[in-house]
Order: sequence, then C-alpha cells, then structure tokens
Amino acid sequence: MLPDGSLHVDRVWKRFRDDRHRALLRDEIARLRARRKGDPSVGWRWALRDISFDVAPGESIALIGMNGSGKSTLLKVLVGVMFPYAGRVETAGRVGALIEVRAGIHPELTARENIFMYGTLLGLKRPAISARFDDIVSFAGVEEAVDRQVKFYSSGMSMRLGFAVAAFLEPDLLIVDEVLAVGDAEFQKRCLDRMRDVLAVGTTLVYVSHDLPTVQAMCQRAIWIDHGEQRRTGSTAEVLGAYRRSIEEHTDHEQVRLGPVRVLAVRPAGRDGQPLTAGGPMQVEIDIAADVTRTFDLVLGVTEATSTPIFLIQTSVEASSEIRTLCCNITQLPVGAGNYSLWLGAFGADHTVVLPWQSFGHLAVGGPELTPTPTGVVRLSPVYVPATWEK
Amino acid sequence: MPARPNPPTPVPRHAQRSPCARSRLGIPRDEQSFHYHGNATMTMTRPGTPDVHVTAVAPPPELRFRRPFDLHRFLRELWRARGLMRTLTERDLRARYKQAMLGVAWAFIGPVGFAVVFSVFFNHVAKVPTGNVPYILFSYTGLIPWGFFAGGVVSGATAVMNNMVLLNKVPCPREVFPISAIVTALVDAAISALVLPIMFLVTGRAPQWASLWFPIVFIVHLAITLGWALLLAGVLMYVRDVRHGLPLLMQLLLFATPVGYALSSVPSSWVNIYCFLNPIAPVIDNYRRTILYGFAPDWPHLGLAAAHGLAVLLGGYALFKRIEPGFADVA
Repeated sequence: MLPDGSLHVDRVWKRFRDDRHRALLRDEIARLRARRKGDPSVGWRWALRDISFDVAPGESIALIGMNGSGKSTLLKVLVGVMFPYAGRVETAGRVGALIEVRAGIHPELTARENIFMYGTLLGLKRPAISARFDDIVSFAGVEEAVDRQVKFYSSGMSMRLGFAVAAFLEPDLLIVDEVLAVGDAEFQKRCLDRMRDVLAVGTTLVYVSHDLPTVQAMCQRAIWIDHGEQRRTGSTAEVLGAYRRSIEEHTDHEQVRLGPVRVLAVRPAGRDGQPLTAGGPMQVEIDIAADVTRTFDLVLGVTEATSTPIFLIQTSVEASSEIRTLCCNITQLPVGAGNYSLWLGAFGADHTVVLPWQSFGHLAVGGPELTPTPTGVVRLSPVYVPATWEK
Repeated sequence: MPARPNPPTPVPRHAQRSPCARSRLGIPRDEQSFHYHGNATMTMTRPGTPDVHVTAVAPPPELRFRRPFDLHRFLRELWRARGLMRTLTERDLRARYKQAMLGVAWAFIGPVGFAVVFSVFFNHVAKVPTGNVPYILFSYTGLIPWGFFAGGVVSGATAVMNNMVLLNKVPCPREVFPISAIVTALVDAAISALVLPIMFLVTGRAPQWASLWFPIVFIVHLAITLGWALLLAGVLMYVRDVRHGLPLLMQLLLFATPVGYALSSVPSSWVNIYCFLNPIAPVIDNYRRTILYGFAPDWPHLGLAAAHGLAVLLGGYALFKRIEPGFADVA
C-alpha cells in the first residue's frame, strides 16, 4: 500500500480512435477487417506511449510539453476519469483535480451544491465539507452568489470556484491544469500562495502549465512529454532547459522571414572576443542593409528560446543598400548562466514591420547561476539594460 | 564580410522537420534529424542529450490494462458516490419542475391523460373486462408502473450520455447517472400515484389488504427497470442509434403490454413465454391483483418476471462495468 499522496505511474499507454466523434458502421467494418488481417492499430492513434514515473508524498512535479502532446490525457488517466490501454496507475489518498479549468464544477448546479458534490466525491463527509465551506466561498470570492447556478457565473468566478473547491478540500494529491492562464493577476497570486500552502502541509502537486516561470516556481521535478512520449524526466531546471533548447531548435528550422531590411550577420561576443559570462560585458555586431535608404527602429532582445524577451534594447538606424555594421555594447549582461537566444526586429514609422521579429542565433552564457526562486515565487523580468551603440 | 554564425539561408522545404515527422517505429523526430541536414551550413543541431529512448509501436500484451469484475469493490465505490447520486437526483428534479410553469402537475398530466384516452378507447370501443373495478382505476394502476418502467429505462439509458460534461471530469462509478435517473423517475411515479387515493375516494373503493405484497412486486419491477437502463446506457455510448430507437420502442411496447387491458386477454398457451419476454406485464398484473382485487400475487408469472429481472440486472451491470472504462474516450 502506498502512503497517502503518492502517485505511481507504470508504463501507461493510451490510444484513441482516429475520429472520436464518428461512429459509422463502415468504419467499424474496416476496423474489424484490419484486425482480422493482424493489424490492430488501424483507426487508432496513440496519445500516450509508455509513460512511467513516481511521485512521493509532498513532492511537486510538472508536466510540460507542446499542445496536443498528451498532457491532459495523462492527467485524466491520473485522476481516474480515463483508463489506460495498458499499464497501471496507482494513487493513494484523496485526489483533487482541476482539469480544463472547471474540473468538478457542474454548470447546472449552484456553488453550494457543487462544493458539497465535489467534497463527497473526494470522500469527505458533509460536516467536514461544511467546516471548510466558508473558506472556499471566500477564497473564490462568490459570497453573494453561492446559491446561483454556476452557468450564470462569469468565467472568472467559476474558475475561482473550481480552484477553491479543489484546493481547499484537503486532497492528498492536487492535480492542476493551466489554472493561471485565465485568472487575473490578483487571483494568480492567490492561487500560487494557496499551492505553496498545500505543498507546505505535505500535499503532492501535479502541475501542468505552458507558463514556464510558474513551473519553475512551483515544481521540484518536471516531465517533458512530446507526442505522447516521455522525452525527459528530471529536475525542473534540467528538463526546462532541454525543453527550451528544443523550442529553440524548432525556431532555427523555421524559414527566415524577410523584410525590406536585411540582417546579414550577427556576431555576439564578450569583451575582446571572450565567451559571454553572467554579469559580464556583451558586444553585438550587426551587419545590416536595406532595399532603399530608410530609417527605422532596430530592436534587439535576449530570450529564453521563446519569442518573449527578457530585455530589449532599441535604437534608431538609418540603412541603405550599402551594408553597414552596427555595434551594441552592454556593460553588464543581466542574465544567469545558461542558453539564450538573440532576437532582432526592425520597425518603421507607424509600426510597419521592416524586419520581422525572429531569432538570430544563440548565446551561451557562463559564469554564476541565477539566484534560485523560492517555491511559489514567479520570476518576471522587466529588466532595463543600458547600452551604447556604435554606428 | 564574415559569414553569419547562424545564417538565414532559407531551409529547403523538404529539409524542414515537420512536427509530426516520425518513423513507423515511433522513434522521436530528433533521432532522425541527421537525415534532413543535407545543408552544410546548418551548424546548429540538437545538443547531444541522451534523452531519447526508442519506444515500441504497441505495448507488450502483458501490460494490457484489464479491470477484473470485482462486485464487492464496485458496490463499495458506488456506496461512496451516494452523495453524488443524491445531488444528481436533486438537480434533475429541480430542473424538471422549477422551470416549468405547471411544475409538479406534469407528473400527473401524462398518466391521467392516458387514463382518459384509454377509458374512451379500450373501455367503450374494445370493452375491457375489469371485474367489478372501475376502468379508470384499472388503467391508472397500470399506467403508473408503466410510466416508471418506460421513463426509467429511457432516462436511465440516456443518463450517461447526457452527463458527458461530468464524465470527463469527475471520477466516479458511471452507474450513478442511470441510477439517479431512475430515482428521479421513481419520484415522478410517486407523485403521479398521489392521484390514486382521489380515484379510490371518487369511485368509492378502497385498496385491499393484499396491497401489503407491494414491496415484493416492486423489487421485481425495480430490478427489470434498472437492469435494462444499465444495459442500454452502456450500449448507447457506443451505438448512439439506441437513443433514437428507444422512445419509439417504448411507445410500441406500451400497446404490447396489458396497461389498458388485462393480462387475461393474452392466450393462455402463450402467457408463460409472454411473461418472461415482457416482464412488465406480470408486474402490472400483480399490482392490480393485490391492490385492486385483494388476491395474493400470481407467483408463477411473477417468478418469470423476477427471473427476467435478475438476468437483465446482472447481465446489464456486468456489461456496463465491462465497457465503462471506455466511456470517457467516446464522450
């Protein structure tokens, strides 16, 4: 018997019909015919292939991956609303789940009924739910609307209710799927606080998000799922690093998007051609030309693989068909050791795009590591970086 | 002019890795990437991470997930979900009567309307022999059990599908949906039975002491209704046609059942097989025998109905639990 709050996933496979919403006799006949010929996989596609991991009580683990990689399917299997095709899932203790934002919340029921319904599903007795009722209602901020059907709630309200119910009914295992994507900033903060609190009392957390900074803030370990397969499992920093590199590679293989302004070469370097270090100087040489003589704003950004930059530097440039070299000097590179991308874009008057925002190469930064974030603290970096340009 | 470290040379279309590219063996894309890098300028390849493992096309057969039919465990899970069943029933009842102007009256309107039509049709046209019992009372005692059976089976069979929203989100034994639909149908039947005392008063009759047999007949009645509801609810998830065919079937079955007439109208050489195939017939007959006529139940025919009920309940539940794991996949 596993201790409460543990999760044991052992070689889980899951498949779906090619078209789940179509059930025609002729498809069935084709499927039966293929099976008789010895090909049982016709008409099916694998959503999960051979997923195995263990989570100990009190641990927090993140599932990351692209859309459609199978994260939500895996969560449904963990919660027990879907059954695996092969393999085993064992959970111990009460499981609270917040899937597809409003997990256990039923639109036809009132908030009060929903709270009791979900509580009874979690295996709590009615008096135990009553004891937590006020906390749930005030966390969700739906005091005046407890007896209103949830279908008449705003989407924010029902989402808050969903989170409050799942998080306050003291599950041993809390499963959270993309809650923060929809809430306002204040609610996001409260959710993170609450998740930190439940982690502190020893609840196990399984967290799915595309928001990598919150993943980094909440979870000790991470699993990267790619096309239904477990691509990498390990510490959050390690898995996120690999995931980001993969996104980066993906952008590398994207077609270069051209504009009237062309960047012919980008040469980032430390002082005197040394490798880049955290907090050290950086010099970027940019060879640039344009179709005709034109003036525009050149924007340089450093990102963690995604298109969202950590910081931006902007300057006004005049370029012509003659190639010219610009040089940007940054005295202190404000990033920790790691891999980053250098992005460039150019924008003319009236926000016309003369060079689309895209990656122009990688920055391998050595030196000191980033200060680790405490659990539940999300790092957001509106960094101002002073820079000088040599034109 | 030095070359760009990461040149913006357009990658030829065939060399771009599609996110779906994957070998038939299921080897992740990265493993194959070297095939595509014909372009010498593509210096950036993936970092040499050992994170790729080759996965087979299908799981080995011994891993296949199979849920054993563990009746004890299923019933324990069902018991744990009783709060949910209560909530679902309350919700159904509230939705049905709250948003209707005539409210609870709808529970009577159906059976009373049928009783009036039957009185005109069967009693005046077909002359149904009812002994000394007024026809309206006779037909109404048939219509209430019929209403519970037909309503329970139809709403129970569609209950899982109608609760698709919950299906994908709430882990619970799925039979809670048909069961609470049947409880709702039972409440409807109980409300419509409230007309019965009025009918007894108006016709100047009283229920017989043999009415005490009611629970026995009711258990058989319930088993048949629940059994068929579970059986059809499971089948309906995969064969949605059931949803369209079922109400029609119920209408046809109403006339093949002694609701407006007596079981004695069925030829005696056929009556045993008939009672087994259409077990609602002896159930209705036994309600009438005990409540209206004061006889003890007609055990042989009730026994046939009970056998049918037991078979369909066990068979239906077993089938339901067997295919239940797939419900969320087709929801």
